[in-house]
Amino acid sequence: MKLRFQITKEKEIRFISHLEYVRTIGRAIRRAKLPAAYSQGFNPHMKYSLASALGVGVVSYAEFVELELTEPVHPLEAAEALQKALPRGIRVLAVDAVDNSAPALMSVAGGAEYRVTLPWTGDIAPAVEAFNRAEAVFFEKQAPKAKEKVRRIDVKFYISELSAVQREKETELHFHCRITRDGSMKAVDLLNTLNEQYGLQLPVEKADIERMDLYRVDEMGNKWPMLDTLFEQG
Amino acid sequence: MNKELAINMLAAVKKPARYTGGEFGSIFKEEAEVRIALAFPDVYEVGMSYLGFKILYHLVNKMEGIAAERAYAPWIDMEQLMRERNIVLTTLETKKALCECDLVGFTLQYELSYTNILNMLDLGGVSVLAAERGDEEPFVVVGGPCVFNPEPLADVIDFAILGEGEEALPEVLTCYRNWKREGKPGGRQEFLHRAVRIPGVYVPSFYDVTYNEDFTIKAVTPNTPDAPATVTKRVVADLNNVDFPTAPVVPFGEIVHDRIMLEMFRGCSRGCRFCHAGMVYRPVRERRPEVLRELAHKQVDNTGYEEISLVSLSTADYSCLGPFLDTMIADFKDRKVSVSLPSLRIDAFSVDVAKKVQAVRKSGLTFAPEAGSQRMRDVINKGVTEEDLLHAVSAAFANGWKKVKLYFMIGLPGETDEDVLAIARLAKKVQWKFKEITGKGGCQVTISASSFVPKPYTAFQWAPQDTLEEIRRKQGLLIEATRVKNITFQYHDGKTSIMEGVFARGDRRLGKALYLAWQRGQRFDGWADVFDFERWQQVLQDCGLDPDFYNHRVRGDQEVFPWEHLQPAVNRAFLASEYKKAKQGLLTADCRQGHCNGCGVCQRLGVPVMDWSGRAYDASKEKGFVSLAEKMADGDNQGYSAATQRPGLPKEGGEAE
Ligand code: SF4
Repeated sequence: MKLRFQITKEKEIRFISHLEYVRTIGRAIRRAKLPAAYSQGFNPHMKYSLASALGVGVVSYAEFVELELTEPVHPLEAAEALQKALPRGIRVLAVDAVDNSAPALMSVAGGAEYRVTLPWTGDIAPAVEAFNRAEAVFFEKQAPKAKEKVRRIDVKFYISELSAVQREKETELHFHCRITRDGSMKAVDLLNTLNEQYGLQLPVEKADIERMDLYRVDEMGNKWPMLDTLFEQG
Repeated sequence: MNKELAINMLAAVKKPARYTGGEFGSIFKEEAEVRIALAFPDVYEVGMSYLGFKILYHLVNKMEGIAAERAYAPWIDMEQLMRERNIVLTTLETKKALCECDLVGFTLQYELSYTNILNMLDLGGVSVLAAERGDEEPFVVVGGPCVFNPEPLADVIDFAILGEGEEALPEVLTCYRNWKREGKPGGRQEFLHRAVRIPGVYVPSFYDVTYNEDFTIKAVTPNTPDAPATVTKRVVADLNNVDFPTAPVVPFGEIVHDRIMLEMFRGCSRGCRFCHAGMVYRPVRERRPEVLRELAHKQVDNTGYEEISLVSLSTADYSCLGPFLDTMIADFKDRKVSVSLPSLRIDAFSVDVAKKVQAVRKSGLTFAPEAGSQRMRDVINKGVTEEDLLHAVSAAFANGWKKVKLYFMIGLPGETDEDVLAIARLAKKVQWKFKEITGKGGCQVTISASSFVPKPYTAFQWAPQDTLEEIRRKQGLLIEATRVKNITFQYHDGKTSIMEGVFARGDRRLGKALYLAWQRGQRFDGWADVFDFERWQQVLQDCGLDPDFYNHRVRGDQEVFPWEHLQPAVNRAFLASEYKKAKQGLLTADCRQGHCNGCGVCQRLGVPVMDWSGRAYDASKEKGFVSLAEKMADGDNQGYSAATQRPGLPKEGGEAE
């Protein structure tokens, strides 16, 4: 039996790295005394994984952790025990249980929903309109290690539409970002694209990026929740 | 007061998790009558690994109305951003600026962290110099091993607590609370006058220091009747009766010692003559195995850690280590928790222990012969022979290990080139042993040689330290002698040892150098890549101070040391006789289960050595063993021959036998 939890990575801990987040959850599972399965061998490790790696600094309300068990437990009881063992900044939002043979959550994610808040008050409407109308918007991304290697990506393949709300002191962007087997694109790169293509001066380094949701997408383009049977936490 | 570490700051620095806080197990007390910041003068990963603060954090937060919070030195990248934006250094819990706390407590773990103390105070909005601190500012208190000579920090600290803090710190905090409740009568001075009555509390401003013409100390005399002529350290008589953390803070990121630290015992009675810890933490006091076992279970439950390290100055000396290890391994096997030891003794027993605790054989075994030649090992009272070492490595090789790391010191008093070269020879002998045992070559030996720094309250406190040139020359000898296949020689540049030496045996005159060095930008002196020796030399020169005075001078028999009024309770006469014996190459036996060597600690503190092998040695009352009335087998049949009663000490409020 596998348990799958929807958990958060909130503001307080947004700057812990993905690896640190994974370790923190591993230790919480141990503290919760869930009957976790371990690999064989000299250095046994717990069989748990996260559905997707989140960039450092990004807040998320839709992280998914999958845990293989050696004996069945009630999903809600497990969720409760896990919640008690988690530090501030990580909450359990939902849980379900599936067979060990169910495909890994990592491989089923099809898209993510984002909200980006910027301390910026310029006029964003023309850029949003132009972006939404464009057939393709290209962004050139340098590979992190090899500086000469530049990857040209079509942002519109990942993000087809943007919307914006502007308030007195800030601008809020909303969008969905496609996830494929080969990867996805980062929310900050959308901001960089808007700056480059539409001459905006969004303060990218001050962007408050939040992943609001992660979901599956079927062939028809319909969105489905990541977890099958939801036991929502009260 | 600006406290917020903005998104773009955290995104720009290395390891932002250092500044996150809110880790599992951290304790938030929004409302507290008294708040103390436990400030570690180094980065988070180093400070979080320090057991002493884990203990005090746990203990103080159990006190009603009193909060302990953590603060660490921001790394240089973060400091720069904080200074640019005028952001104040806060605690990790309720984000109080250091200046908003009632007390700021620093631990003095190593001399090269002193500049960080000044820097953290400044970043935290606290006046750096004690004399300039106003009534609304916190008290700056220090503890830790270097507290037996905090004189270079005398201008910075308000007071110090000598020795173990489990009892003394709550007493100080209670004293502070009472004074605060009364409306802080008499200002800062009055509190210090109250605090100094607590045994173990040292207030530097209550003492005047006079110097001879050659700048050696003439006298250190109290300038108020409240201050005692000497301050003696505090110790906890029975570790089984004090709180030990059961739910320590579990960091998000990796820290230096990222595991459960189970403290087996305090003190070490082997009597190595170079070892500061071996003198200032005496006497040996063990925790009972059943107490340790219970603590281990609670910690595993509460932390989720997968490793328990059995820590103490020499864990292999724990009197019932064999059976205790078996119990621990059996207890935690199914929970996938491993047990480890920070260091091994040089004997086959230790290899046996290593075999038990280490599932993976690839990593090497580490031994610390400390010196290469027998003559030198006798000088330092290491009590280990070449035969012992070869015996131990034979056992290791026979059990499949292929790598050995050997720790040495160079620059020990009276060392000759012959002694230095003996280090390389010993490493080669270890390699030959491998060939002899396995019939194969390819044994990897790593030699790590640190440069010796004489410390106060050791037999070598009188000894001159090697000059930088001398250390480099000796390192050169070893580099040449270890140009052999499969021998790696590791060493550090001797510059940091020079400054460590200056502060270790320094005096109050160094205060202005410390201040000036900090103003000129020195911090993180313990980090070789940041340490700026040339700047330090300039600072000392500008202050009219000579490093050679502190390091390379032979101190006379009668010389008064700057630290003489601060007592770990080791007799000066004992240290002098140890120094004499060192020069003669004479050994002093371990006092743990044998006879008292008369170091004075047990008698002066009224605390006996406590060892659970079934006998206890109480030198605090008389010479000889106090035999236990009964040896009681452990209740649930662990096979310990451990005592279940406190030997030689009152049962409950009674008199010692
Ligand atoms: S007083 Fe005697 S028994 Fe106690 S620590 Fe010193 S030498 Fe050892």
